[in-house]
Amino acid sequence: MALVATQDTSAGKQVYTKWCAGCHGDNGAGDGPAARHMIPPPRDFTGAVYQIRSTANGQLPTDADLLRSIDEGLPGTAMPGWKNRLSDRQRRDVLAYIKTFSTFFADTTQRPQVLEFGKEPGGGTGAEALRVGRQFYDSIGCRKCHGDQGRGDGPSAPTLKDDAGHPIFAANLHENWRFNGGPTTTDIYHRLRTGLDGTPMPSFSDLIDQKFLTETELWRLAEYVRSLSPGEPPVVRDVIHAPLVTRVLPRAPDDSAWNAVDTYWFPLVGQVIHKNRWFAPAVTGVWVKAVHTRDSIALRVTWDDRSASPDSAWLGHLGRVLATVQSDDSTREQPALWPDQMVVEFPVTIPTGMERPYFLMGSSSGPVYQWRWTSASRSAAVAGLARGIERFDSLPRGGVGARAVYDHGQWRVVFTRALASLDTASQLPFRSGRAIPVAFFALDGSNGEHGTRMAVSTWYFLALDEPVPARVFISPVLAMLLTLGLGMLVVWRAQQKTSYRRQQ
Amino acid sequence: MRSYLRHPFWQAVGLMVIAYILIVFIIPALPGSAVVPKSVVLQYMATVLVGVLIWVSDDEARWTTFKEPLHDVLVQPRLKVIRTAVLAAVTLMVGCITYGQVKASVAAPPNLRSIHPAPPSQITFRGKTITLVGLDNPLRRSGDMAAHLAVGHRIYYENCVPCHGDHLDGQGHYASGLNPLPANFQDNGTIAQLTESFVFWRVAKGGPGLPREGTPWNSAMPAWEDFLTEDEIWSVVLFLYEQTGWKPRTWEVSAGGSK
Amino acid sequence: MNGRILSVVGGMFLLTVCSKGDQGNAAAAPAAPPAPAAPATSDPSADGGTITGKIKFTGTAAKNPTIDMSEEAACKAKYPSPPTEEVVVAGAANALANVFVYVSAGLPANAKYQAPSTAVVLDQNGCRYHPHVLGIMVGQNLEIKNSDPLLHNIKAIAKKNRGFNVSQPNAGMTRDVTFSAPEVMVNLECNVHGWMHAYAGVRPDPFFAVSGADGSFSIKGLPPGTYTVEAWHERFGTQTATVTIAGTESKTANFTFAAH
Repeated sequence: MALVATQDTSAGKQVYTKWCAGCHGDNGAGDGPAARHMIPPPRDFTGAVYQIRSTANGQLPTDADLLRSIDEGLPGTAMPGWKNRLSDRQRRDVLAYIKTFSTFFADTTQRPQVLEFGKEPGGGTGAEALRVGRQFYDSIGCRKCHGDQGRGDGPSAPTLKDDAGHPIFAANLHENWRFNGGPTTTDIYHRLRTGLDGTPMPSFSDLIDQKFLTETELWRLAEYVRSLSPGEPPVVRDVIHAPLVTRVLPRAPDDSAWNAVDTYWFPLVGQVIHKNRWFAPAVTGVWVKAVHTRDSIALRVTWDDRSASPDSAWLGHLGRVLATVQSDDSTREQPALWPDQMVVEFPVTIPTGMERPYFLMGSSSGPVYQWRWTSASRSAAVAGLARGIERFDSLPRGGVGARAVYDHGQWRVVFTRALASLDTASQLPFRSGRAIPVAFFALDGSNGEHGTRMAVSTWYFLALDEPVPARVFISPVLAMLLTLGLGMLVVWRAQQKTSYRRQQ
Repeated sequence: MRSYLRHPFWQAVGLMVIAYILIVFIIPALPGSAVVPKSVVLQYMATVLVGVLIWVSDDEARWTTFKEPLHDVLVQPRLKVIRTAVLAAVTLMVGCITYGQVKASVAAPPNLRSIHPAPPSQITFRGKTITLVGLDNPLRRSGDMAAHLAVGHRIYYENCVPCHGDHLDGQGHYASGLNPLPANFQDNGTIAQLTESFVFWRVAKGGPGLPREGTPWNSAMPAWEDFLTEDEIWSVVLFLYEQTGWKPRTWEVSAGGSK
Repeated sequence: MNGRILSVVGGMFLLTVCSKGDQGNAAAAPAAPPAPAAPATSDPSADGGTITGKIKFTGTAAKNPTIDMSEEAACKAKYPSPPTEEVVVAGAANALANVFVYVSAGLPANAKYQAPSTAVVLDQNGCRYHPHVLGIMVGQNLEIKNSDPLLHNIKAIAKKNRGFNVSQPNAGMTRDVTFSAPEVMVNLECNVHGWMHAYAGVRPDPFFAVSGADGSFSIKGLPPGTYTVEAWHERFGTQTATVTIAGTESKTANFTFAAH
């Protein structure tokens, strides 16, 4: 191949040592210094086993496949895309060098063969196509790992390991922006055909070859999987707008009143700031809705979690996570049945200036006001003050209600409280028309998360919106009348002049 | 068709459309460019409009021809529908814009943050007083540089990668969840502008160690003195400059300034 | 971890080589080299020496975990009582089944052996693999079939061979695979059913066997020579023995593993 001829592995080695070895290791074994904090771990190049290929299962990838992973990175992992970070030449050089780590690439008689994928048949977004896709989702067993609703919570999910024995999650099919091989229907179809080598995800090509399934039916499955994610990846909007509702406050997570309320997405990342740090958070983000009445507020936090912890089925996974991911402990932690947790954080009072308490659970001198919910006592939340990540003092008469539902890999928890607070010194009084700082913290007990091991967000804002007062409409109406009048005047004047001219 | 192309009014309209396409679609597609903000688009379009008006009014005949279609819309009986539509559209637009202006909506408060606040003259590092003023990286003067860099490389990849990224450009896989975004060391506005002692201070004391103008309540930067030794921090500072190719500001050069 | 290494190294290592001929005979045998140039036949029943033996273990093996098949009614129905995993399959008097025994060294370096045209069959039935341990030659077909009406994926984790991972969601599906390099062992597993494990010993020659329920094995058709025989067990590790074969004699190599 011409591509190979121009590649220089000694130049590739320089690029590799500078930019890749930190994760993938000097010898390509996936054991660089960053590896001990990563799930999934960096690729071990010595085995030449690659997830993202255009070739049949078990085969080597093509150069184009490898270049794609280098260029685009692997979404949902720590691997970034290098397209805009390294030159074309550097990326091709490093590609050639990566191949030298495995003897499998040395055998040039076996050139990897790209599969015939064909094109997506038409009609893939209709209800009938999705029904067919869903039917095969069930019948060929996708749900075994990915779960009934596709959130990676199937019965086999807790047992999954990669080839090296590291824990691995079945993909949450509702987050296509985190799919390692890309988000599109075509990407999904290719992964179904090739499998993700090195992971538990097999190839489904034999089903077509042995006439158990047609290509169109497998495309339908890919289209169904694609339909589970939003059309576009969620965009972070800083302010949660909580409209005023005149009806009763929706306290149940599945109250139909929530359907009419706008939803806001906030990404969460590992708590890597304070000892003991946590590099492998399971909760990737929260979807938040809020409404208020004249006297109370309801905040619904929804997040995907593969397990309703504590769940002993996940103990094996938990042990593997603790064995794989290093933290700051001197001795390795022992698995235990920890619950899931959600923390909603506010300042103690609405700040007037820019200044706020420290986002990561306040500090000894500047506490934060928090609502804490755990799956151990589903229908209750505790209000209290956090003074740093390790100190939480619950408040008597906290007055926070909680209702929770766990449904096929998703928690939906509604927090409720009166707007006014009896103890304004420590319990935030909610006021409408103000930007109230808010932050979220999530813990998945079955993933080893407890104490300081959690997923965190930074400060965002909650605004209790007032209905638009009538006086707001006065000036637009006035402006419109004025414009219309002026316009008509201009027309009238022009017509007058013309007719005058004609008469002359 | 040709008569339209020759008509100054339609030429002016065409120029405006071309300018709009250029600003909104072509400029962001150029390498190294970003999407043009709406307010800037408005400014550019106003400038183009003024230019076009000067051009059409430059020549008396052209000006008269230019006005013709406008005048026709105002007076021609056969254009009554268009006249009414234009009048209604303008009125509605004004109403919407006014409503957008007067409607109260809660927005996130402006986040005014000093990116490189003035450092203290000295800090206490694990009980030891370190004077920052005039301080250079002590590792540049002692021991094996390659060994220091190897330590710095290891420290960086063990600790910094999730936020600051493999390419040191502040785009680690956690970056999108943080605000303010992690520092981009490849950018010429960060470590390239700073002395090594400043970087040492930022690493050692992290977000909580920022002065008020640095919005310490928002920063996710850990106070690394809780995790790393003094030498380890100096090694990673060394690594940041080596890996990006930037040179630290030196005290000789900046002695005249207050930094 | 340490304990395992210790027990493998220091475990009761009993090897009995019942030599019928004396050492002189055995040493004399190589004087007539077994024509390594000629491609040896792959038929193990051809003339040659035989190594037989019995495999036992001492101590008490941990109980095999019971498999929870509640998620798979079709598999569960195939068992009168809940089945167990097959980590240690013991016969009477601590006889040890599922031990892969093979000649790890001693064959002529340039000898080539033709893989048989018959396939080795690996059946997924009742959410377990049959057989649990198998031997196969490089280039020989491994026919993987699914007798269960539900999804199995079959994944091979290998170092010297290319691994694979294919799905078989329907009963009656088959897949033929071959291995290109010797490897002891290639791990086979199903990720849908975490308890399903099988092991394939891939050899370039036909001199291997898997111990039966009574712990016995037999390797036939060996040319005269001095061989290292290795026995592999998924839990108890490996043991080796040296056996010298002259003519068509039959030698015995018994292995005793220590349970842990």
